[in-house]
Amino acid sequence: MNKKAIYTTLLLIFIVIAMPLILSDFGMNLVTEIFIMAIFAMSLGLIMGFAGMVSLGHAGFFGIGAYLVAILGQHIGNTYLLLFFSIVVSGIIALITGAVFFRTSKFYFLMITLAFGQLVYALFWQMKSLTGGADGMSVSAILNFGLGDLFSPLSIYYVMGVAFIIAYLLLRLFVESPAGKITKGIMENESRMQALGFNVQIYKLMVYTLSGSMAGLSGALYSYFNLYVSPDLSGWLFSGQVMMMVIIGGVGTLFGPAIGAGVFIFLQNFISSYTERWPMIMGVLLVILVMAGKGGIIHWLQHIQKAVFSRKKITDDKNYQLKEEEAAS
Amino acid sequence: MSIFFVQLLTGIAYGMLYFMIAAGLTIILGVMNVVNLAHGTLFMLGAYIAFSFISNELNFWLALLLSVFCTAICGVILEKLLIKYVYGKELEQVLLTFGLSFILADTVEWLWGTEMKTLPVPGLLDGSISFGDTAFPIYRLFVVLFGCLLALLLWYLEARTRIGAIIRAGVDDREMVGALGIPVGFVFTGVFAFGAGLAGLSGVLGGPLIGMYTGMDSEILVTSLIVVVIGGLGSWKGSLIGAVLIGIIETLGKVWFPSLSMLIVFLLMMVVLIIRPNGLLGREVA
Amino acid sequence: MSLLRVEKICKSFKTLQVLNNVSLDAQPGERHVIIGPNGAGKTSLFNAITNQFPIDSGKIYLEDREINKLSSHHLVHLGMSRTFQKNNLFGDLTTEENIHLALVAKKRYRFNVFSPLVKRSDIRQETEEILQQWNLSDRRQMKVKNLSYGEQRLLEVLLALASKPKILLLDEPTSGMSPAETQKTSEMIQKLPRSISLLVIEHDMEVVFAIADRITVLHHGEVILSGPPEKVRNNEMVKEIYFGGGAKLHA
Repeated sequence: MNKKAIYTTLLLIFIVIAMPLILSDFGMNLVTEIFIMAIFAMSLGLIMGFAGMVSLGHAGFFGIGAYLVAILGQHIGNTYLLLFFSIVVSGIIALITGAVFFRTSKFYFLMITLAFGQLVYALFWQMKSLTGGADGMSVSAILNFGLGDLFSPLSIYYVMGVAFIIAYLLLRLFVESPAGKITKGIMENESRMQALGFNVQIYKLMVYTLSGSMAGLSGALYSYFNLYVSPDLSGWLFSGQVMMMVIIGGVGTLFGPAIGAGVFIFLQNFISSYTERWPMIMGVLLVILVMAGKGGIIHWLQHIQKAVFSRKKITDDKNYQLKEEEAAS
Repeated sequence: MSIFFVQLLTGIAYGMLYFMIAAGLTIILGVMNVVNLAHGTLFMLGAYIAFSFISNELNFWLALLLSVFCTAICGVILEKLLIKYVYGKELEQVLLTFGLSFILADTVEWLWGTEMKTLPVPGLLDGSISFGDTAFPIYRLFVVLFGCLLALLLWYLEARTRIGAIIRAGVDDREMVGALGIPVGFVFTGVFAFGAGLAGLSGVLGGPLIGMYTGMDSEILVTSLIVVVIGGLGSWKGSLIGAVLIGIIETLGKVWFPSLSMLIVFLLMMVVLIIRPNGLLGREVA
Repeated sequence: MSLLRVEKICKSFKTLQVLNNVSLDAQPGERHVIIGPNGAGKTSLFNAITNQFPIDSGKIYLEDREINKLSSHHLVHLGMSRTFQKNNLFGDLTTEENIHLALVAKKRYRFNVFSPLVKRSDIRQETEEILQQWNLSDRRQMKVKNLSYGEQRLLEVLLALASKPKILLLDEPTSGMSPAETQKTSEMIQKLPRSISLLVIEHDMEVVFAIADRITVLHHGEVILSGPPEKVRNNEMVKEIYFGGGAKLHA
């Protein structure tokens, strides 16, 4: 793992441990939600930024994971099993739908993923006897990793914090791995990758499945956290919100979407306490973001980083120039 | 037997409605390469604007005209202020129109509230025709007829006028077309307004059929997107076939498998895509 | 046994016939150059051989194995590699990263999702060798879009060579180059080991005659003539169609 990743991880661990000391109950609740949404946002950021696929129905996987815990949790108590099912089922659905979706063009992919999200929403809405329909259902499942039931806000906070860090690490590993580099290459230049001998379809499927299962996991965690699920978790608004998180944080970076999630949740809570018109304001923010260019916060941070470390770059360039002069003489 | 026939006709009526809204979407998409996710919201806007006019004692047909006018103007404003800056940039278009749909939808909720509403069937078309022992609403026949008229209009525009050629050329090489003295910007704005107006029109006509409620914009958007995908990008003929197909299957599906009708439509889309990845009559997207 | 054998392939796009009963072959270790005026169908021929599109009729064999129906990425694993006329590189990645990608295509760990690619010693070593051999060591961290045109063209070939192909299809390797760069490229091509067979599309006649063991002339999607350089150089029909009136066919 490179230096940047190690520093980030240490920083994250520090933040996760230290925050409860300075936050109120409300604040801790908010941060817990941010951890969950950060996982969800990073999963979307993975396919958007590293595989170049724009999915408008990613909330579909989130809802699937959430409802799995809610429904199965009525009969199964084992946390490991429930989380496992959420990951695997979302992953399989991603695999199957991805296999069909990728045969089409980018335009179609966009629209089909939107239809997929809406399908999941409609199913949850209509299968009243199973899901409670539009009224949603409450979640009875309780987190238990073998050391006792965890239902205090603090323990749930730590669980989500740890989950977030693990998710980040897994994604980092993937991105640096051969498969990850190849996927990035496919986004950069798909035709060349094909000409170099890569089976492009398999990699796209791989990353979409990974993304789908991660989104499903975040949904499952949400169930444990919120204790209530509704069809809106797979709806169009929510898919748009997670996309905003990715955009705010910066497309194409691993950690950006997590930052975006933090900013977004904070904004949402803040603004919602003053007005009901949050969707409208969200829409306006989205429009402004688009019209002003989609650099995102992480790119601003990178600009700052470059400015601070630019002296190093100048020295490197000087060495290069010297070598050139030597070669010429 | 005649119940089945009634269901079939109902399905065709819904299909025609889907065709009307999908036509606007596929024209903007196929001709200008613009993804407009606010299309469903314009549909919704049309219905609600007409509702306001009608609530103020205005005649249905007049309300219809005014609604279409309003949504078309909306289209012009959106295109000139925002859309034209994102031509050729797919992700930006998606995000922009996504955001616009939230703004518009929330505006509708703000101004008109969240209770379900309906548009009354216009007096002229109230009533039903009897087929044997079942009655079929005249309004639905009207919708079918209107859909056919629209198809005819589109066929005429495509086969007999230069507009289609100009637009296509403008998408390919804007500067060149401009150099030939043709006002490309004007044409693009016009096409977008046409699509928006069509969306509003379908909204008003759809009002008596499907009602008006929160979330109708995303539902109708998804349906029209499925229609466009099945029919093929840019092909209004494909949209016609796809729309009617979906209307029929959805209606019949609702009768036999009420909670799974959307799943059936979705599966239909998957099947079509497996056999023909570009839709029934689609061409390769650039 | 021919390494590559193309038998009577035809391809039309709507009403335009781009390839009409084209047959040719490539022998192991040979340098076979394809020439022809613009629009003759040369790049389409390459696209057909590498299965970028399906052909209407005819067959293509690689080492006596029919390859018509295979997906294009599979061909690389069978030993056939190609370059593109317009640079088709990973512009925003560094030279090093470009070479990594080309090398990893045939590695058995290419589906690995855990251990970092850059830590793999074999990839690092092989990349190092390539960089050293072609004098690109000090360009390794540079983004490819910032390389000079000649360097990009070189990288274009290096990426295709990374898979250690048995036959390499070079599509106009000197296109857009200055005379100096063209000379360097011509030398580079001649330096390539004879263990790799070359099928080259080329326009520059100096380069053609410098490297060719055999020349095939394509015109309007048909093979007009095929044979050793002398035969082609002296053929009246070739002079006529290729150069029209006035131009000289010099070596």
